[in-house]
Order: sequence, then C-alpha cells, then structure tokens
Amino acid sequence: MSKLVKSLALTSALVASAMVAGSASAGDAAKGEKVFKKCKACHAVGDGAKNKVGPQLNEIYGRAAGSIEGYKYSKAMIAAGTDGLVWDEDSLTQYLKKPKDFVKGTKMAFAGLRKDADMENILAYLATFSSAAPSSGSDSSSAEPTAEKEALQTAAATSAPTSNTREGGVFGLGRKATDAEVAAWDIDIRPDGQGLPVGSGSVADGEPIYTDNCAVCHGDFGEGVGRWPILAGGHDTLTDDRPEKTIGSYWPYLSTVYDYVRRAMPFGNARSLSDDDVYAITAYLLYLNDIVDDEEFVLSNENFLEVRLPNEENFIPDARYEEPHYAEKSEPCMKDCKADPIEITMRAAILDVTPEDGGDDSAGVGAVD
Amino acid sequence: MTETKDKGSPSLSRRSLLKAGLATGGAAVAGVTATGARAEGDPVITEIQDWNRYLGDGVDAAPYGLPSEFESEVVRRNVPWLTADAVASINFTPLHELDGIITPNGLCFERHHGGVAQIRPQDHRLMINGLVDTPLVFTMDDLKRFPRENHVYFLECAANGGMEWRGSQLNGCQFTHGMVHNVMYTGVKLKTLLEEAGVKTNGKWVLPEGADASHMTRSVPMEKALDDCLVAWKMNGEALRPEQGYPLRLVVPGWEGNMWVKWLRRLEVGDQPWHHREETSKYTDLLDTGKARRFTWVMDPKSVITSPSPQMPISHGKGPLVISGLAWSGNGRIKRVDVSIDGGRNWTTARIDGLSLSKSLHRFYLDIDWDGSELLLQSRAMDEHGFYQPTKNELRAARGENSIYHNNGIQTWYVQKDGTVENVEVG
Repeated sequence: MSKLVKSLALTSALVASAMVAGSASAGDAAKGEKVFKKCKACHAVGDGAKNKVGPQLNEIYGRAAGSIEGYKYSKAMIAAGTDGLVWDEDSLTQYLKKPKDFVKGTKMAFAGLRKDADMENILAYLATFSSAAPSSGSDSSSAEPTAEKEALQTAAATSAPTSNTREGGVFGLGRKATDAEVAAWDIDIRPDGQGLPVGSGSVADGEPIYTDNCAVCHGDFGEGVGRWPILAGGHDTLTDDRPEKTIGSYWPYLSTVYDYVRRAMPFGNARSLSDDDVYAITAYLLYLNDIVDDEEFVLSNENFLEVRLPNEENFIPDARYEEPHYAEKSEPCMKDCKADPIEITMRAAILDVTPEDGGDDSAGVGAVD
Repeated sequence: MTETKDKGSPSLSRRSLLKAGLATGGAAVAGVTATGARAEGDPVITEIQDWNRYLGDGVDAAPYGLPSEFESEVVRRNVPWLTADAVASINFTPLHELDGIITPNGLCFERHHGGVAQIRPQDHRLMINGLVDTPLVFTMDDLKRFPRENHVYFLECAANGGMEWRGSQLNGCQFTHGMVHNVMYTGVKLKTLLEEAGVKTNGKWVLPEGADASHMTRSVPMEKALDDCLVAWKMNGEALRPEQGYPLRLVVPGWEGNMWVKWLRRLEVGDQPWHHREETSKYTDLLDTGKARRFTWVMDPKSVITSPSPQMPISHGKGPLVISGLAWSGNGRIKRVDVSIDGGRNWTTARIDGLSLSKSLHRFYLDIDWDGSELLLQSRAMDEHGFYQPTKNELRAARGENSIYHNNGIQTWYVQKDGTVENVEVG
C-alpha cells in the first residue's frame, strides 16, 4: 500500500469509527481530550494503546471491570468485574467522581474529577474510542487533528536541514542558535536567581492549582500518596532511622523547586503551567512547609531571593577519600584476617522481598528515586 | 575447607581437579542425571533428534536476531516496591547470566524519570548555549561529521546497592548490583563540541539537559567535561536503544549514571553549578550527622561474584567450580581482585581475564575444587590508585545507614551444602 493510500485509509477509518461512536450525551470530545491529560500519565487510549500504569482504555464502554488480559488489577477491581460491573456512562461517572468510594480498594491513585463539565467531556472523549458507546449528534474532533499532526510532522521533517556548516569554529559545523531558540529551551534557574522569569503568584492562588495538578500524587498537604514523593513536613528527621527528605526538611534552595516544577511537573504534562502558576505553586509549597504562614503571601521574581530554605547550611563537600578505609590505602590483609569466628548476622531470605520469590507484594526498605 | 587453586600452576591444578573428580566417581551428586552415562548410552547421542533430521529456519527468519528461546530467563527485572510508577523507575541487568565484560544492549538496566522518549533522529537537535562565543545548534548529521572515538565504559547508578544499606534484603546480584552495564560507545568528545562553540574564560560548569518529559539536568564541572566525556549515538556498534537515550546521550566515564543525560538536547555553559533537583533533593548522601554530601560524582571501586550467586546456585555438586565475578572503579583500571571463600578470613587473588580498560567492567575468575562444604563467598576490588573496596560495616561506621547512594561494600554470598546461595552479612 502506498503511503498516500494508507493515510487515506487511516483517516476514513477514524472518521467511520467516530461516526459510529459519536460522543456521550452533552460532552465535547475535543475538550475531553484536554481533560484526559490528567489521565495520560497512567492510561493510554487510541490506536495501538497499551497498558501502562493503568489499563488501556479502548472499548471501555461495555467492558467488564478488571477484564483486560495481561494487566495486573487490584483484587477489588477483579471482584467488581466478577460481580457484574460493566463500564457504561453511569458507572464510569460514579467511578471517576470518587474512584476509591465506588470501587473500594482500587489501585487507581486518581482522587476524582470534581467538575461536571470535565466529566461529560472526558466521557465524550473516551466514547470516541468505544464502538459500544451511546451515540449522539455531536461530532468528534479527535480524529482529524491526528492526521493533521502527522502531515505537519512529515512536512517539518522534509524541510529540516540534515547538516549545517558555517563560518568560524574549529570545524565550521552546526549553525548559530537564534535568540528565540535559546529562550525556548533555556529555562533553568539557579540559586542566585539567574533565569527567574518576571511574574508572581500567591499562596491563595497556588492552592487550587496544586489541588488540581499535584495533589493526586503528592497528597492534599504534600504528604505523598503511595510511594510518590512527600513534599512537606519531616522537620528534624534527618538523623532518624527513617528520615523524611522534603522541600522544607532537606532541599537547600528554593530555586530548585521553581526550576523542577517548571521543567518536569505536573508528571505526564510537563511545561503546561504558566510562569505565574509555578510561582503560585512554589508559594503554596512554602506554606505547606510552614516557611510562610500568610495565605496572602505573594512570591515573585522580586522577592524570591529573600526566601531561604532551612537546611541550606547542612550540605557539605564530598569527603569520601578522607574516610579511614580509603585514606589508608594500605595493603589489605590476606591471611587470618579475623580473630573471632565468622558468623552470619543477617539473611535476605528472612525479609523475603525479592521479586518472583513469593515476595512481590511485601515492600522492602529504601528507594532509588 | 575447600582449597583455593594455586594460581601459579594452572595446568597442574586443573589436572589434580580432574583427578579429584574421578576419585569421587559417579557418586557425585544425586539428581544431576541429565548427562549422566547409562548402559545404553545417552539418548541425545544414541537416538536421532529432530534437529538432527529436519531443516531449521532459513536466513531472514529474524532480520534482527534474537536470543535462543532457551534463554528466555535472561531478562531485565524490576523491584516493584522500590518506586511509585514504572515510568519513573528502574530495572536491573541480569549480571548472573552474563560473562565477559560487555553487556548486550537489550539487557542494559533502565532508569527513566519520565518514561522512554521516542524521538525521530531528524527531529533531534543539540544546542550549546550560555557562556560561549557562539551559541550553536547541531543536527544528528552535523554531529557525525566531527572526529569520532570509541570507548568501553561502565555506567553505574549511584543507587546501585542502595537497598542494602541497612542489611541484606534482595536475593540475587541482579537486584543487589544490577544497576550497572558496560558497553562500547561511539561519539564525539564533549571537548570538541565545546571548542566548536568557544567556551568563555569564566565558563566553569556545563549543564546537560534531556529532551524527555523529565528534562533531566545535572551540573558537570568543566574539568570533567573537557577530560573524557563523550556525546554518543552508538552503543556496541549500533544506535543507542530508545531506553538508553536514542538518538543521543552524554557519557560521563566513571561518574554516577544519573549524570549521563539521555535524549541529550542541550549543553549550557555557566560560571556556577545549578543545584537542580537531581543534585540536591536526590543524589546527595545523607550522613548520620544530618549533614549531606553533595556532588559525590565518582563511583568507587566495587566488585561482586556473579556466579555462584542466589539466582545462579551450584547445580553440579562438589568438584571443579568456577567462581566468576565483575569488578570496576570510576577512578580507572582494576589492579587486583581478591576472593575469600571463608567470609573474609583468608583471601586469594583472582585471575582477571580479558580486557582491562579504564572505567570499564573487569571479569575475574577463581577456579576451585569445591569439597561440598558451606562457603561464605566475598570479593574485594582494588583499583590502580590503591583504593580498595571497604566492608559494609566500614561504610556504615563512616556514613550511617541513610546514604542510599554509593554503597560499594563487600558482598557476602552464603553457599549451602546443596549448592543454594543466599545474600547474607557476616560479623
């Protein structure tokens, strides 16, 4: 099949499926696609969608709960399916409103959709990928942009130069970056404030933005959901058996918070927040960490450097090679190195946290993130 | 207890090992019968097998070749309880199944912070900006016109062994030591690219940045950037795998893996470090004093016995036994590896086999005649600068148990009489 024929076939297939499926009730599928960004970190839908953290959502309408083969559901979800729960507009609405209330024990960490409009729109969007969805007159708009985007990308690819040369330099390879290109990518912030954009946001502004974008993983108060990072609390725990390394208890610089939120958060939808949103979230995180206590506090590029995090002084240079075992560099002992009888003091088998060893569900100690 | 081999006379001891095996005769070990001789003979010899008679697949059955179906156990594995989500998680190289020093591309452990970015090479750009004479943009084709180099380097995650700080937890060197791999990289020296842009005299640090959804950044001191860092697009001769940063990654030899930014899209030159998330909140080593070390870049000398090990028990009973392992140091070459079979009381220097390259894995062997008694196996690496691997208790005495990163303590495997092996600690 030629490329053209293939893409035509693809487009008509998408249009056909959109016509059959239509969209649920009053929702707008195009708006639903935006709402779906909240879900995208864990769920895939559409052509070739695979299970990720959550199951893929093609043909979700009419699907029995917990029925996608190869996806590891919670026991609760499998039981719900066995008891006859089938996903339709009604059950999806109830589930997405408060997942943990509707299926107690579900492992979906999502807190729930609050706005009715978001609910209608996301159901309309999911319906475009389900042949068994209830039909209505309104059109799906999710099909065409995909084809459009493909066309655009192809155009971009053919017009992009494969190699550049220039005057100057040692080899004269590459080309000068434009100011706009540097500005688009160079978004890093340093502790001395270099890179901070002009803008501001208050604790009060930050609360709803945090609740909508961050709380699903980090908890309403920064306490962390599951194994997602804890952002607040943990003061004076750094010498404990289980230190809690939060922004307030551990991080040395506030600039790191702004930089990281702007470059990588919300998880699965990076670079979607405005600079003012990031100021507001950063202000709210200061509030959750009791570093500011006024809900009207406004953080901006003007006052940013006035805020210091409490643990800054406790970071020290690498001194590993002053540790006795390295500093000595002495010839290690080869014969009769231990006087006392050698005894086993600890055994991994007792903990039993090795995967595929019957220990899958128990959690060991430690983290790598 | 079992005698270690005299490394001075390999052929002689090989002969004596064989003799010892003959002396114990067929009594060897019950249960090991697969290749045992029978009166009629071994059926895989005396009977014609399917593969002796029928034709196999022709060429092109697998245009990109795959391992034998009988090697399906040789895979990366993860530890689900370690992280919140598979898209910001880690899996482990099956070190126990491998030999030599090169890690096959499909088995190199993965660590992502925002999943595996899928980037068409035509859509990839590398920018150099900051304190340079001319900010530049390169396409992949531009990069391939610079002079190239090939180097074999290990990449180890700073958190390799991080779950073992408080004691033995995981039964298998895949899990205790598998956040390491070793491949040959092809690329251009970072120094060459920086010179092309012209570093200003106050340029002291470089910030590499990834194009994936995590936009990974780390501060690299200029001295290292100009020393041996590479900007690489090939591993083991073929394009980088997507999970290793296709189409372009930074190579920071001997230093912690987090700095080897994948999907590399930008290099910024600055006069100070940036103190970004992965060098403040993470990858800093909290001591028992409550102080935390930062910029702990070098991976210290380390070794592990990969066989026998918990996932690779001794199945053949007493007699000749190959003890095999890996050693490496971010400081350079490995000078020596000592092995103990009695929990660290006595040590024998092992044989390093194959290439000994700076900042690369080294393979070592100790061939012994196992008498079937219990063993407490340990290995201890020493690098060319005379730094040797400390015990876990020495590390804990110096740092406490909350450091997470840079655990290079000596590993102990407890070999039982039936050949099973367990991760233990000894006092």
